[in-house]
Amino acid sequence: MGKTAELLPGTLDMLILKAVSLKPLHGYGVLLRIRQISKEALEIPQGSLYPALYRLEHHDLIAAEWGQSENNRRAKYYTLTAAGRRRLRDETAGWNRLATAIAAALNTTSEEV
Amino acid sequence: MFKRIRSLFRVLTRRRDFEDGMSEELRFHIEQYSDDLVRSGMSRGKAARLIRMELGSLTNIKGDCREAFGVHLVDELRRELRYAARLLRKTPGFTATALVTLAVCFGANLTIFAAIDSVLLRPLPFPEPSRLVTVFNTYPKAGVERDGSSLTNYYERRGHIPAFTSIAIYRYGTAIIGEPGSTEREQVMRVSPDFFSTLGLGPVMGRTFSEEETSYQTDNVAILSDTFWRQRYNADPNVIGRQIRVDGLPRIIIGVLPPGFRFLSSEARLYFPLASRPEDRTSLQRHSGGNVIQMIARLKPDATLAQAQSQIDAQNATLEVDDPQAKMIADAGFRSLAVPLHADHVAAIRPTLLLLETGVLVLLLIGAVNLVNLLLIRAGGRVKELAVRQALGASRGYVVSETLVETTLLTLVGGLLGLAVGAGGIRLLAVLGYDRLPLGSRIAFDTRLALVALVAAIIMGVVLAAPIAWFNLRRHMGNALQSESRGGTSGRSAQILRHCFIVSQIALAFVLLAGAGLLGLSLQRVMAVSPGFQSDHVLTGQISLPWKSYPDGAARLAFVENLMDKIGHLPGVLSAGVVNNVPFSGRSGKSAATVKGHILRVGESARGHYSYGVGGDYFRAMGFSLRLGRFLTAADSHGPERVCVVDEDFARYYWPKTSAIGQRLWEGSEQGKDTEAFTIVGVVGEVKQSGLTEDQAQGAIYYPYVFHTDNSIFVVVRASTPPESLALTLQKVVRQVDVEVPVNDLRSMETRIADSLIARRSPAMLAGLFSGIALLLTAIGTYGVLSYAVAQRRREIGVRMALGAQPRQIRIQFFSLSLRLLAAGTLLGLIGAWQAGRAMRTVLYHVPALNLAILAGATCVTAVVCLAACLLPSQRAARISPMETLTEE
Repeated sequence: MGKTAELLPGTLDMLILKAVSLKPLHGYGVLLRIRQISKEALEIPQGSLYPALYRLEHHDLIAAEWGQSENNRRAKYYTLTAAGRRRLRDETAGWNRLATAIAAALNTTSEEV
Repeated sequence: MFKRIRSLFRVLTRRRDFEDGMSEELRFHIEQYSDDLVRSGMSRGKAARLIRMELGSLTNIKGDCREAFGVHLVDELRRELRYAARLLRKTPGFTATALVTLAVCFGANLTIFAAIDSVLLRPLPFPEPSRLVTVFNTYPKAGVERDGSSLTNYYERRGHIPAFTSIAIYRYGTAIIGEPGSTEREQVMRVSPDFFSTLGLGPVMGRTFSEEETSYQTDNVAILSDTFWRQRYNADPNVIGRQIRVDGLPRIIIGVLPPGFRFLSSEARLYFPLASRPEDRTSLQRHSGGNVIQMIARLKPDATLAQAQSQIDAQNATLEVDDPQAKMIADAGFRSLAVPLHADHVAAIRPTLLLLETGVLVLLLIGAVNLVNLLLIRAGGRVKELAVRQALGASRGYVVSETLVETTLLTLVGGLLGLAVGAGGIRLLAVLGYDRLPLGSRIAFDTRLALVALVAAIIMGVVLAAPIAWFNLRRHMGNALQSESRGGTSGRSAQILRHCFIVSQIALAFVLLAGAGLLGLSLQRVMAVSPGFQSDHVLTGQISLPWKSYPDGAARLAFVENLMDKIGHLPGVLSAGVVNNVPFSGRSGKSAATVKGHILRVGESARGHYSYGVGGDYFRAMGFSLRLGRFLTAADSHGPERVCVVDEDFARYYWPKTSAIGQRLWEGSEQGKDTEAFTIVGVVGEVKQSGLTEDQAQGAIYYPYVFHTDNSIFVVVRASTPPESLALTLQKVVRQVDVEVPVNDLRSMETRIADSLIARRSPAMLAGLFSGIALLLTAIGTYGVLSYAVAQRRREIGVRMALGAQPRQIRIQFFSLSLRLLAAGTLLGLIGAWQAGRAMRTVLYHVPALNLAILAGATCVTAVVCLAACLLPSQRAARISPMETLTEE
């Protein structure tokens, strides 16, 4: 494992939404997928993964359904709902704006002031 | 928000699935992770340790997951409910007192609310009922407040009042339905064709009446109510076009009304066209309403009642221009008033219901104050426990929610019991005759009432929790932990609060008691009024003569004479007679009479008088007293000369100085031919025509039956036996005279008078009941607070007695405290009773708002009850043993 970064507060939900938007996943799959798509750079605190999933389900942003896993075990699969898709789009746009702004601010040199 | 509640609800209904799923999901996670780790070369033991470290406590995760769904709130609530239930079970005395208090207060409130809701609040069962109005003629200066509307009014007004979409008229009546031998009398309504369209609700099957069907030749049609159709025709779908015999004549059924169709309080099961002749609709008949025909109308959506009123006034003014009697009509203060239909229908009973509602609200207030007091005492006993728990980390929010859960649990159970009491109360209302009041038959126990009970119980729970929670939070833990343990005095402000509550309770109970006293006295004064005749031993019954067999006065007279002859021979009958309307029948009409030689004084207008046709020996049967001359006899219906009898009021009004005997008058508002004049041959005593509270006599004229007949008569029988025992015999005799004619509404005169007092007797009884309960609650409250005060000051009293205080001094100390509370409460109560008396003036009869006897009585009763409640605790205080209290703890 390379260097991992701490998650900023509030970003876990966004990452979960992104993960399940690609393909229906079970809880453990979400963990792996976030690791994979963040190029192993982000480490999810496992204790907060499930409460976050439940919160998103309760808010109707993801839907849960029981299904079969790759190794034929019963597992709970999460998919993105329409409301979740909207939320992901909004949060992605918001995040990008914020990131650009912060990057621009941090890259400012003394000459540009 | 709604979605989230639904999602929480789904979880709660399948709680087991939720928990199992959560466990399975976490187990799956751990196994997968562990497999992956082992696959990458880790030992199983090391993998398990690593996972436990990364995942943390499973219990915590599950707790967080539950919280994400809001499930934890419900769990907590359940825990608190269990705790509250346990606490309440531990103090059965308190719990029982509180529940009984709540049950009685809620029950009384629900009962009266059910009545208010059905009669005053719930709209009439028609589309947009607020736009329905009724229009009636009034001649206040002639003593005729209400005269219905005339046919002429209807035909002249129809289509000429732009503020109305439609106008209709109706009259109540009865009819004999069925083939000879199996006839039944039914309540019916005769209505104009636009009646149903004005109401906005018409036949669901068939059609409504047409304009052609309003004349006597073509009015042989009928519309059935749903219940009549189901009972008589077995809900036959092909009933339209079939014949039905009404008063001996065939009519064709043209329509069936929807289920539940009901116009105001009418019990009508059949509807006929309101037929008339062209001469009944002329301008000469404009003021001949006689309170028989009533008018309703529907306001246009954008029109106001005031607009309609001014349009009616304007039309009346135009029409009256060429009326030969215009001046007399104007002098009588004539106007046609348009008023909202629903409000008008219940206007008479409204103040009574509102009075009762105020009464039960006061009762509820007393009950609530009582509960707060008891709860405060209870909270006082738990101060230490609560302080310890707060010291151990219970949050303020927790303290509040715990109180709230406890009181709400209490009020919800109390509300449930209250519903049961309310169901019983509604029965009681029916026994008291409330179903006979306007719209009273709508009073019922329904889901609406249950919902009101639920909401009221929750609100009550919150209201009760507020002072207790405040009390619990206000205490400083440290103080609480130290004080009380040494039995010092209680918090001063809490004590003052409790005393204030007791004072207000005493005051409220006093007001209720005084109010009930006023109502009772008023009822007593009404019942002491003499009706003007001897009401004992008199049986009365109504007979409707079918139009077909009895078209004119001669035929009706023959029936009456035949009947009188048969009744006269019955054993036990002292005398018998007939009249078109007995007093207290609730439908006395007044009409005009013209006295020969009487010239209207300036400012005086023609008066309406009660007019009756009497046959047989009516005056003796009813027990009238003769003042001058003679009674009418059966022979007067055949005599060569027209004679009549008037009452004292009539005689006094027209001939204040001379005798009325020999004077002459005409029926109607104009002088007629000399041969048509009636000569007064007797003067009888005044009788109360419409009710015992009738204060202003209107004069009455009694004509021989043949000159004043209609198709409805009352038969009056004076018997030497209890009158009800004659009822069956009377029915049989009437059937002997004519099989097609049934007798209805058989009641003794005493029953009729008693029935006319429903609206007075029941509030007096209910108010008496309420004040009894209020006194009991006050006694419980006073007893509770004083007992508590004694228990709390045991130590102090013990010390004082050890230092030489006498038991008598202790007793006097507590007694004087209760006297002070009583004095303050009574003083406030006196002010309240005075205000209540003023507010009640409209429903009181000859009783002033401030009646010293009642106030003195209420003071005595309150004092006795409160002091009795104080006696036991004071005695207990005096018997405290200094040794015991000082060695305690």
